[in-house]
Amino acid sequence: MEVLLIKIGFALLSASVVLSFAYLFSRNENFSLWMWYVLGVGIAAHAAAFVVRVEAFWAIAENRYYFPINSFFGALCYLGWAMMVIFWLVEGKHRLHVLGAFVLPWAWISIGAGLRYADPSVSGLVPALQSYWINIHPVILMTSYAAFANAFGVGLALLIQERQIKSRRPSALCYRLPAIEELDNLNYRIISFAFPVLTVGIFMGGVWAYNAWGRFWGWDAKETWALVTWLIYVVYLHMRLFAGWRGRKTVYVSMAGFAAVVFTFYGVNFLSELHGYLSGGGGIR
Amino acid sequence: MALILTGLSHQCAELELLELLAAAPAASVLGKLKSAGWERVTVLSTCNRFEIYAEVEPEAAAGRLDELEAFAGKLAGVDLKGKLYRKRDAQAVEHLFAVASGLDSMVIGEGEILGQVKQAYEAALGMRLTGKVMNVLWQRALYVGKLVRSQTAIAAGHTSAAGVAVELAEKIFGDLSQCRVLIIGAGSMAETAAKYFLSEKVAQLYVANRTFDKAVLLAARFKAQAVRWDSLTEMLAHVDVVLSSTGADTAVLKREQVEIAMSRRQGRSLFIIDIAMPRDVEESVHGLEHVYLYTLEDLKEIVDGQLQQRRREQMKAERLVKARAEEFFKWLDAARDGVRADLKHGLDGAGRRLAE
Repeated sequence: MEVLLIKIGFALLSASVVLSFAYLFSRNENFSLWMWYVLGVGIAAHAAAFVVRVEAFWAIAENRYYFPINSFFGALCYLGWAMMVIFWLVEGKHRLHVLGAFVLPWAWISIGAGLRYADPSVSGLVPALQSYWINIHPVILMTSYAAFANAFGVGLALLIQERQIKSRRPSALCYRLPAIEELDNLNYRIISFAFPVLTVGIFMGGVWAYNAWGRFWGWDAKETWALVTWLIYVVYLHMRLFAGWRGRKTVYVSMAGFAAVVFTFYGVNFLSELHGYLSGGGGIR
Repeated sequence: MALILTGLSHQCAELELLELLAAAPAASVLGKLKSAGWERVTVLSTCNRFEIYAEVEPEAAAGRLDELEAFAGKLAGVDLKGKLYRKRDAQAVEHLFAVASGLDSMVIGEGEILGQVKQAYEAALGMRLTGKVMNVLWQRALYVGKLVRSQTAIAAGHTSAAGVAVELAEKIFGDLSQCRVLIIGAGSMAETAAKYFLSEKVAQLYVANRTFDKAVLLAARFKAQAVRWDSLTEMLAHVDVVLSSTGADTAVLKREQVEIAMSRRQGRSLFIIDIAMPRDVEESVHGLEHVYLYTLEDLKEIVDGQLQQRRREQMKAERLVKARAEEFFKWLDAARDGVRADLKHGLDGAGRRLAE
């Protein structure tokens, strides 16, 4: 049932991706309006799937009342869903239509990878994760990741638009992309939302680590890479706020930050001793 | 009943004939037609065309066309026999729809003609010269004109350098109401561009000229602020769009100047439009980060590109017009036979296929 609902949600997300590209290559505003509606239904389908998943998850006594984010499947679905929600809100507020083509593919990859490669079954939480902190630390961090993915899409659109106008021969794409300054502001606003969330998430991880392992920070690969990510975004915010930088070069930094996010989320699972939960290990002490 | 049309436009060979009739005030022409006994008649008169549309008895159509031709000749003061185009029924309907769609305009797809068609209709309506068929025909023409513009890219983009410049500014800054614009130099191009930017309600317009008094004069006309020539570099740090059109022989804006200004702009973009000949702004300025320098040639090339794109849409637009004209004519046939038939707004099957 859960997988079926997620597949429905995924199909709707796929349709939104197609619609957002259709808008990018046509002039029809209706495409982006439909994209928004279809995506809204897709978000609802994923929310329903989540309810089903929670029910199955809580059927296992030791999992009660924890957030089912302990497997790649649960994490990827939540991540994709959070990206969709954040994009849906940004689009609903700013109506910068064309961004769907730059943001939604990330949600599509996330949920698609979950469906294709991850095991959807629920399992009991390993003892190390049986803590209310699992409802706080990873959920907060993944929310910030989803926001960073949105910022990445916006940054990509900015780079394209900057190039278009610098070329002096703007193509039809230029007239459909939002203005450079708008994209720059939006990139900044999303990151200035995501960054405090990331900070709190990392800090909460430290508190959990203190409770569980008796130390706040231990240079575990995940911790180190989280710090790298955090520092890159510090550089971005510093450039924006204090050094009077804007536009292209700050976007490169924010994109490096997103690359670090992707690596921290995915790659590090295979490096980290303590945070390898998603790839089946982790919590060894 | 039959529909007839005669007239001439910029497409005709003898432009001096057009000059005799173009932009003749429709109301007075309608008045003359009315006193000559015409009951169902409309006049479309613009700078580029003069056309009379009338609804007549089918048997008398050819003779009535001759009468209209003679009438136009009298109006122009020359013999126009054989000089005007004459169309009947389906062809006349298709012609009007094409005209309303901007397909027969000098700049294809231009929007002004739609307003002129509306005025022509309203003038005739006001003098009670339309009747049921003419009412439906002209309202239909307005509808088709809008439909063609929304369903095809026939009216996409801008067809003037100033329009393109404003659109580019919007693609850099978004909302222009926060933007400050500096005009350097004077001249008709600068004025046209200034008007364009003012119509977008920019935050503030500045005018600079080597002769301060000239700047003050121009500024007074545009509710702008005149600035002194020696404060140009400071102004560059302050404004967002610069439009330069002086008659200077050497560069007015040098790279070093812009570089200094950019260091004070906190990374905010600067859009420079150089429409002077020879150029006012050093080319290397475009290489600076966050600076976008466009010359008149750049803008003209973009305009050409837009026009080409419009022309590519022409076939599609023509098919749409033809389908709508046929549909109208079917309705007319049905109305003649006393059968009730409805004209659909929105897209029917044929229209939808065309739109896709």
